[in-house]
Amino acid sequence: MKHSVNRPPTPDAAEDQGKEPTLQEIINIKLIESGEKERLMELLRERLIDCGWKDEMKALCRAHVKKKGRNNVTVDDLVHLITPKGRASVPDSVKAELLQRIRTFLMSAAL
Amino acid sequence: MSSKINGHVSPQPCPHLLVFRSRNGPKPFRALQDCIRVKPPGGRAAIRREPTEVPRCGTCEESSRSRLYACVACAAVFCHAPLLHSHASDHSLSIPGHEIAVDVDRAELFCCACGDQVYDRDFDAAVVLAQTVNATATTSTSGSTAMQCSVAGSQPENLRKRRRVDYRPWEPDSGEHISRGNQSIPLLDATNASLVSSTQQPWGFRGLNNLGNTCFMNSILQALLHTPPLRNYFLGDRHNRYYCQQKNGAINGTKNSRLCLACDMDALFSAVFSGDRTPYSPAKFLYSWWQHAANLASYEQQDAHEFFISMLEGIHEKVEKDKRKSQSPAGSGDCCIAHRVFSGILRSDVMCMVCGFTSTTYDPCVDISLDLEPNQGGSGKSSSAKSLNSFNFEADCMRPNQNCGISTLKGCLERFTRAEKLGSDQKLFCQKCQVRQESLKQMSIRKLPLVSCFHVKRFEHSSIRKMSRKVDRYLQFPFSLDMAPYLSSSILRSRFGNRIFPFDGDEQDASNDLSTEFELFAVVTHSGRLDAGHYVTYLRLSNQWYKCDDAWITQVNESIVRAAQGYMMFYVQKVLYYKESENQGTS
Repeated sequence: MKHSVNRPPTPDAAEDQGKEPTLQEIINIKLIESGEKERLMELLRERLIDCGWKDEMKALCRAHVKKKGRNNVTVDDLVHLITPKGRASVPDSVKAELLQRIRTFLMSAAL
Repeated sequence: MSSKINGHVSPQPCPHLLVFRSRNGPKPFRALQDCIRVKPPGGRAAIRREPTEVPRCGTCEESSRSRLYACVACAAVFCHAPLLHSHASDHSLSIPGHEIAVDVDRAELFCCACGDQVYDRDFDAAVVLAQTVNATATTSTSGSTAMQCSVAGSQPENLRKRRRVDYRPWEPDSGEHISRGNQSIPLLDATNASLVSSTQQPWGFRGLNNLGNTCFMNSILQALLHTPPLRNYFLGDRHNRYYCQQKNGAINGTKNSRLCLACDMDALFSAVFSGDRTPYSPAKFLYSWWQHAANLASYEQQDAHEFFISMLEGIHEKVEKDKRKSQSPAGSGDCCIAHRVFSGILRSDVMCMVCGFTSTTYDPCVDISLDLEPNQGGSGKSSSAKSLNSFNFEADCMRPNQNCGISTLKGCLERFTRAEKLGSDQKLFCQKCQVRQESLKQMSIRKLPLVSCFHVKRFEHSSIRKMSRKVDRYLQFPFSLDMAPYLSSSILRSRFGNRIFPFDGDEQDASNDLSTEFELFAVVTHSGRLDAGHYVTYLRLSNQWYKCDDAWITQVNESIVRAAQGYMMFYVQKVLYYKESENQGTS
């Protein structure tokens, strides 16, 4: 099998080289390993659909594709297009809810 | 970048994908399929080399990047954020043949050189299968067993692609100019102008006398009289009863020439829209319908929905006999006005739970019959049950589609389009396994009609207990309805993400976002018991609601309508509704 030949070093190698993992990294790994990140992602998806954020982004993308033509737009173009607007238009209540959930998780994970 | 194969649009591979395929055999992503993991909360497919792997970029060692891609050639994972830093792009540039990667969190193929998603039929089929098997399996640990068979489906037959034509305003031709002058009666002239302006009601309102338990007929007729495309058809003289009877009198003799429900409809429209406000007795119509539906000919109360269906059939039958056209494709609505207005196409996907083989069938339908929930408090979505644990419980309940004990039309539609596991006593024959297997069935809407009629199954007939009963439970229905979530394209996409489906038809659904919006214009309600009840229709014109109770038509507040017990709800495409209500030349 081709893909097993050129495997890059495993994640532990980073710590062997003396690189301190950032706090963000540590939290991220804890979230993933416990499965909490998946749950948070699902919650976020639901919230963003409910408040119409997803529809807004979809409409932006559609307008862009209509303007440029179906064959002249790539995924990267669309990501570049909606990222700033998307980040800015997430409702504060959604941000607050997710932050609260993460805080609760961190307390219970006894970091 | 898309080509048509057998009438279906499929994205054409980019040059890098082509090169990759040529170098790696007929199924270049076969090994990748072993890494498909389906994650429990939402059932999404992800790519992980080991089940517990935390993917991180091989260059910057960050795992918290939003887009991580695994190179399909060497399995190395890299981040991709084209404007900041894309280690995935760096990798693809540094080693030729390593341009194709897979999004580790979405299980979607990507070309780092083109910066765009690419598709492989076998890989997408494997992902779909993994997600479906995982969703219904009871004890599976992961959906990553090797998938040998691909998901296939039968081709939709006789589905013509509808081309859009430019709008051209109507101008009468010379023949129409002449006939307009000769045989038409002006709607507003000196004699009946006073009649019209003296009342507050809009044009075309006339009570229908009850001829003996005929409220079932009156209620449906009132709804049809104000179904915009149907009303326009008949008022536009598209079925001229004089001409039709003349023609049929010549061919069939006088006896059969009277049986044309469309002619009777035409007569009804003329009577109701004449400007005369006195209640009308649709006796001739009733007699004609008795001749058509002989088994229902009596003075007993009938089911309004049954009458509706039989009426549409009646209009269709007569027209078919007349024209003797070659069979037009089912569901295209070319056969008669009844189907042109009401006919949509339902899609049914039946997936074998053993091998994943899916068979797809398309059936035309003139309405959708919906079951009420078996018991109150059942939740529409699994994720909403989960959110009961969050501190936003109250906020959740305020959302319109959160079920806190109230049945809604949207909830019924969601259940209608939900994937349903058929019981072990309902095993269906799988073409691939060649035996009967347990199956998963999912309904969705392939094509929306001009007018959607929803029929709520309130009458339960139990053959076991040899009795029938009526379900009185209140059903909440919206005045504006977006049918997009129930379309086949939405249903499939929401389950599986961006995939190629071998049976995916045209991409017109994406550009048709305007024509999924519907407006409510008529509600047929039933009150009372199964054997002794009464039908009443509420009509909506220019945002005013009117109650049509046999011979009496009164204006009512919309709250009355909202609180009514809906039995049949009629929604028309929004573009047709607005134009109609703009031109109400009334009081």
